[in-house]
Amino acid sequence: MRSFTHFDAYSIEDTCTALGQYKGRAQLKAGGSDLLSILKGDFLPDYPEVIINIKTIPGLDYIKEDGDFLRIGALVRLIEMVRSPLLSHKYSVLVKAAHTVASPQIRNVATLGGNLCQDTRCWYYRYPRSMGGPLQCLRKGSGSCLAVKGDNRYHAIMGGKKCFAVCPSDMAVALACLDGRLIIAGPRGERNVAVADFFYPLGNDLAEDEMITEIEIPARRNPAQQNFLKFTLRKPIDFAIVSVASVISIEKGVCTDARIVLGAVAPFPVRVRAAEELLIGKPVSEEIVMSAADEALAGSKPLSKNAYKVQIAKTLVKRAVMGSTD
Amino acid sequence: MKSVAENYRYIGKAMPRMDGQEIVTGKTAFLDDLKFHNLLIGKVLRSPHPHAMIKRIDTSKAEQLKGVKAIITHETAPDWKGGLPPIRLLDRKVRYVGDVVALIAAETERIADQAKRLINVEYEILPAVFDDYEAMKPGAIQLYDDLPGNILPLGSDEISGATWATEIVTGDVEKGFAEADAIIEGGFAYDNIPNPISIESPAAVALWEEPDKVTLWVSNHKVWNNKRLLSPIFGDKVQIRIIGGACGGSYGAKAMSWQVQCYAAALSKATGQPVKVIFSKEEQLGCFILRPATRLNAKVGMQKDGTVTAVAGSWLVGTGYYSRTTQIQIAVGCGEAMIAVRCNNWNVKPSIVCTNRNASGIVRGFGGQELKCALIPLLSLAMEKLSLDPFEVLKKNFVKPGDGYFWRNAAWYNYRGIDYSRAMDEGAKTFGWKEKWKGWLKPTAVEGTKHIGVGVGVHGNADVGEDMSEAYVRIDNDGRVVVISGLTEHGTGQRSNVVKAVAEVLQLPLEFISITPGDTLVTPVEWGPAGSRGTYAILGAAISAADDAKKKLFQLAAPMLGTDNFEDLETADGIIWLKSDPEKRIDWKKVLKFRTVIGHGRFDEDFSLSNCMMSFVELQVDTETGKIDLLRVVNATDVGKVIDPHGLEGQLNGCLGSAGIDSAIFEETILDPTTGCILNTNLIDYKWRTSAELPVIENVVLETPIDSHRFHALGIGEISTSPGPSAVLMAASNAIGQWLHEYPVTPERVLKTLGKSMEKKQGGSL
Repeated sequence: MRSFTHFDAYSIEDTCTALGQYKGRAQLKAGGSDLLSILKGDFLPDYPEVIINIKTIPGLDYIKEDGDFLRIGALVRLIEMVRSPLLSHKYSVLVKAAHTVASPQIRNVATLGGNLCQDTRCWYYRYPRSMGGPLQCLRKGSGSCLAVKGDNRYHAIMGGKKCFAVCPSDMAVALACLDGRLIIAGPRGERNVAVADFFYPLGNDLAEDEMITEIEIPARRNPAQQNFLKFTLRKPIDFAIVSVASVISIEKGVCTDARIVLGAVAPFPVRVRAAEELLIGKPVSEEIVMSAADEALAGSKPLSKNAYKVQIAKTLVKRAVMGSTD
Repeated sequence: MKSVAENYRYIGKAMPRMDGQEIVTGKTAFLDDLKFHNLLIGKVLRSPHPHAMIKRIDTSKAEQLKGVKAIITHETAPDWKGGLPPIRLLDRKVRYVGDVVALIAAETERIADQAKRLINVEYEILPAVFDDYEAMKPGAIQLYDDLPGNILPLGSDEISGATWATEIVTGDVEKGFAEADAIIEGGFAYDNIPNPISIESPAAVALWEEPDKVTLWVSNHKVWNNKRLLSPIFGDKVQIRIIGGACGGSYGAKAMSWQVQCYAAALSKATGQPVKVIFSKEEQLGCFILRPATRLNAKVGMQKDGTVTAVAGSWLVGTGYYSRTTQIQIAVGCGEAMIAVRCNNWNVKPSIVCTNRNASGIVRGFGGQELKCALIPLLSLAMEKLSLDPFEVLKKNFVKPGDGYFWRNAAWYNYRGIDYSRAMDEGAKTFGWKEKWKGWLKPTAVEGTKHIGVGVGVHGNADVGEDMSEAYVRIDNDGRVVVISGLTEHGTGQRSNVVKAVAEVLQLPLEFISITPGDTLVTPVEWGPAGSRGTYAILGAAISAADDAKKKLFQLAAPMLGTDNFEDLETADGIIWLKSDPEKRIDWKKVLKFRTVIGHGRFDEDFSLSNCMMSFVELQVDTETGKIDLLRVVNATDVGKVIDPHGLEGQLNGCLGSAGIDSAIFEETILDPTTGCILNTNLIDYKWRTSAELPVIENVVLETPIDSHRFHALGIGEISTSPGPSAVLMAASNAIGQWLHEYPVTPERVLKTLGKSMEKKQGGSL
């Protein structure tokens, strides 16, 4: 690791001011589980001069229902989400998603805000300096996406443009399924953005002087049937090859509401509305769910080595909607 | 057999490892824990290009950095060479992404890293070749001027001057094919070049004292072999001392640590200070030893009763940018094929090809696992054609007493070991093979999309008796014993076993016996653990040394007990007595007074015994996602006599990792076909099984006395990874009802084989 200045932040305002002053040369650190691997790998064009520890900002670690909204502070650790009775009761898709992230050690330190802001896992992007790297690509400001002609087994099957890395966040998929919005603080005041709109192929929506402070989710009257399935080669540790979050309301065997979001298939979580519409008003039969799964992946455009993700995604949609646990 | 076992005081008894408590309580000092005065940190600047000439290298800025003590480039490096073809430690040409460009010694790791970034290198980029077949084609890119077709010679290595087998040619294959009821021809590969990834990265500390004395502290299990490899590199004038210590695993690979050791030595020579070089995990995964890649194009003939009548074909081994031991691995692999497949007619021609990737080298399974992983699937096709049960065919074809084989030195050996059929039968019974085997390409059970399949594989290795071991056993005048051995621990507990064996011979309490550190200044020559030779060879030398010491002690004691024949005596717990009159006895201390006795023992190579392991696997394939879950493994072996039950169990349970069974499920090194970069040099993308998802492993271990040494034992640990991968391929094929022939069996490959992933590339427009 290279040298950097490290300081603790005590308020959102001070943090954003500092971010503005350092003009992109400062990085926020919450749990640090992603940031430290970035600093060690030293693969980015610019190394941060300053690391701002935001764990010292008080009052950003709540999970609460507040009238029409569920509010989760950005510094809530994933382990706290896994253990939250409120989430288990009405927002279990969040619990299920949080439980699939990495390993217990990492869930003990990793925060929700950090999970949303983690950098891509693309192995070209992350190719380490110590091994003759780093590799240049468009996401780093020059060149083109190396995955297109290279080994793209884990890359996007839809939505890629200039960069074909996928959004690595499991929590984003579950939050998008609940219509979550990110509250973003900055020197120009507070704004909010839908989780699904936060991610772009080349990065995310945060300006260099902004930070996520909260995730706001419309409060649910009934829990419905919530599911999160994540396909990996190994149960622990791995990032998703494909994931699916679903919230399905069924009354008398008929689907009355459906939300389905695909993860790790695109640079952002993909809400598949056409598939949802296909389900609503119909009985939840295997045949109908299969056609919804086909519809969900209808727009996929696999790369040279990742067509298998299409089949896995279809399977996961079907299983999530049918209430399967694996 | 039982009656022999009952007489042992230590052998076969489960007891804590000598070093166990220190390891688990964190007291053990590994290489990185050792303290040195004025220690410098050495780092390696590595090439971003798979193939390039260094046109210019400017180190001036880096040299000015405070705390930088030395920078070595190809222009300033000592002219040290190793491997085949002999490559300079630092060459003007780089041949893979990660190849060494400069070495830096600095006061701290951070300064060394900073210096790396200040070195300016100008490259003339050359076209590169990554595919083994492409590299052999006429007009292919040449890695070396004097190596046409990138093909390395077989049959020798630059160190030993020994002759290695270059092929398996015997009998008449045409006659063999004429006698066959089924002939199968095909191409099979095991070329996913997994990495065994010992927990502790490769590392060394060197202290060069001018003009020609160098001491190396190493983290591997072969101190004497290190010395033997380094001696021709440094030159005869240089006095080399290697000190071994705790070692956080090797799985074979660390036996090839000559480069990391030379980096430390060169930097110490340049600075006059001790220098430590420790590879990062990235370097270990990207610049250290990979399994050789195998591609087999062959034809086999089989009769209705499972007799193999002929094996003919070509075996291409990809070694990466150079070879250190690939020639030897081919020689051993050929012999191991003959041990597992009794056949009178062979014509298998290997060749070795170089490409612009990191080098392959020693990994447990050493040649045979690689060849077997391609050969067994080929034989399976013949078995399918003849509707034969693979368990029966593999059992029938494993070497039996009275058979023979060509071993690595191209000499013929008559096998004088045991028939392993009984162990295989016991394994099959424990596994439930008869009930689970439903025929070729038939699942054992189907529940929804979950298809369960079973498979079996086998492996055996005559390297259990390879090379030389020596030991001294010194009996001191306080009645205590020191075993002087160049054996360095590498995780198996073998140093404890040496102590156990000596204690058994001398009938002494374990706590009366110490063993020296593996230090070439102190100990006699010892080849070190490799090929499961520890049990037969290393213990064999220790037993002989203990016998010799005992004899010398008895010769001193005999006159004191009124006999002139030392064979009249017996001893236990430091007391010697006359067998005919046990009341006539004397304490060792009184015999020795101001004297020590030293016994010497030596083991010379013996390739007439082979170990054997059969692995049965049961796995589940999800036919909608292509995911494989390993459910159960049964390993069956006969070790003659168990020395250390816990250690043995650990070794057999190691069948999964270190490039073993999991190299058929998800372990692979992913080389980017466009940049030549290894893309998964981290433990997220390199899929190493975590302890959170271990399958059930059962080990069936028989003890039929084997004619090795007095304990009738034979080692097994090395090969526990070897039968599994082909068994996984077989099981997965049976589960889904179609042949799978590529390693690892990824979801992509399963779904493609099932016709469920047929979409053409559509995306990716930039």
